[in-house]
Amino acid sequence: MFWSDRTSFLIAVLFYALSSVYTIFLFRRGFRQDTHVSYWLLLGAFIFHTIAIFKRGFTYNRCPIHTLYEATLFAEWMMLAIYLAVGLWSRLRFLGAFASPFFFAISVFALMPQLDQRTAITAREGWLSFHVALFALAYGAFGLSCVAGLMYLTQERDLKFHKFRAVLSLMPPLQRLELVAGRLLLGGLVLWTSALVISAVLARQLGNVKYLSDPKILWSFLVWGLYLALVIMRWRFAQGGRRFAAGAVGTFVFVLLTYWGASLLSPIHAP
Amino acid sequence: MIVVLGLSHHTAPVALRERFAFGEARLPVALQTLREMKLAEEAVILSTCNRVELYVATTQEPPNALAELRRFLATCHDYHEPLADEMYALTEPRSIEHLFRVACGLDSMVLGETEILGQLKKAYEFALQAGHTGPSLNKAFQRAFNVAKHVRTETNIQRGSVSVGSVAVELAEKIFSALTDRQVMVIGAGETSEKTARALLSRGARSIIVSNRSYERAAALASELGGTAIHFEEWSKTFADVDIVISSTSAPHYVLDRAKLEPLMRARRNRPLLLIDIAVPRDIDPQVNFLDNVYLYNIDDLQAIADDYLKQRKEEITRCEAIIREKAAQLSSPRPPPMSAGTAQPAFE
Repeated sequence: MFWSDRTSFLIAVLFYALSSVYTIFLFRRGFRQDTHVSYWLLLGAFIFHTIAIFKRGFTYNRCPIHTLYEATLFAEWMMLAIYLAVGLWSRLRFLGAFASPFFFAISVFALMPQLDQRTAITAREGWLSFHVALFALAYGAFGLSCVAGLMYLTQERDLKFHKFRAVLSLMPPLQRLELVAGRLLLGGLVLWTSALVISAVLARQLGNVKYLSDPKILWSFLVWGLYLALVIMRWRFAQGGRRFAAGAVGTFVFVLLTYWGASLLSPIHAP
Repeated sequence: MIVVLGLSHHTAPVALRERFAFGEARLPVALQTLREMKLAEEAVILSTCNRVELYVATTQEPPNALAELRRFLATCHDYHEPLADEMYALTEPRSIEHLFRVACGLDSMVLGETEILGQLKKAYEFALQAGHTGPSLNKAFQRAFNVAKHVRTETNIQRGSVSVGSVAVELAEKIFSALTDRQVMVIGAGETSEKTARALLSRGARSIIVSNRSYERAAALASELGGTAIHFEEWSKTFADVDIVISSTSAPHYVLDRAKLEPLMRARRNRPLLLIDIAVPRDIDPQVNFLDNVYLYNIDDLQAIADDYLKQRKEEITRCEAIIREKAAQLSSPRPPPMSAGTAQPAFE
């Protein structure tokens, strides 16, 4: 078919690319420009991204979460939806400028042809969809927490080094960025924990799955441990500010760099 | 024809400006006299600490009108000494452009400041209420207020802070979500620290703690600012609740260094801390800036930011002038002025 779900997604990727280019422009202007443009470009991307997901779903008559390509698209879509909701609050719209390059990078990676191959496992569609949706939402929350952390680190560095652009930029104050990053991270952790519990239910349904020796599941527990450590360090040991922001960014970068590897190594999650 | 006669901080020292200043009580009489002596059909007198200006609509030939106005000003203030270039006289279109420039803050000592617009409005309202304005000045002043608004929205001439106190406030707003719950501590009760503290209070800072070697001075300043005074030896004890510190003691050594601040930061659970060091020699060891969640700015850092803002404002002048020229051209009378139009000349020769 001429207009496939992949075509829609390619147009969405084009919007992500444009938004990323605009981020570079904003960076060169010292983040003095308003970010309405980023928001509208990402909204454009969301529309085509949604069309791609729905088209895929209707084509195969199921929730599109069975290949790594679909799962990536779904997680990214959730992340974008959270941003568009959060971005309605003008003070946090700036997240979009920092998130755009992430969206673009994830999208380009998702387009790799090897990722669009179905897994052999079968499970009840309802539980599987719930499991994937929870993880996707958690990725969204962690991703935006990372973006808020990145903004924090940029602003903090400018303030520390007495850069003029620290006062000129339209970025929110440090405390608000830390608050947003903290809340998103906590929300993501709750979702991740729930998704892990659902995973156990799914494993029981599948019967012959070695739940605790699967690389993807071990990886999921590792990620859960890292985020839990960040939360504990912040609330129990007052390790907020730059360390917390760097932790949120570092952990999500780790997730991005290892997600596909862990998925491909997993007999449950890879074909 | 609208003419302007005046003197400002550009042309005259304060000693001369204060001689020509009109107190509020004298304004009604001065305006009335201008009208009664047929020196003006309409008149507005603007008298601030930086300028004294007569805005006059007259049917007389401008050279005659300006000469009469000069004599009026000198007589009014009993000033008989010779003046060179201290006083300027402007005719249309320069008089209109000058009015617009004043309204926009382009002629102010602090480029782009907005206080002058309020003063101009007040002077105009005063003359309007007393019936000393008419179609010419009403139109010119109303247009001036519109131009000021237009310039403010279309250019960056009023963007940013150009004083140390307001830069400190801006920095605080980049660190803290809101200033309403912030506790400010002033160590050393100097004039700049007082101004900075006032600026923070005006933006909603919760309260001020003042600590000074002389407790009496601390108590006096605390009372003025509505805060509390503490003994100098005790300032570190209340540090756990403080978010912003303004330091300006005359101590020859560091009052706060890294070794002293590290345990205090732990007690504060690493909440962000903004340190404003406006003392010379400095009160706070620059090394503390390397601590997490500590942001240290000394007087040079603050001044550099204020200078950058001023530079940015100066870059906007050309755009502002273009707007002003265009708007003034629309308003100016098409009738060619009898004297060499567009030239400023000394009033007293």
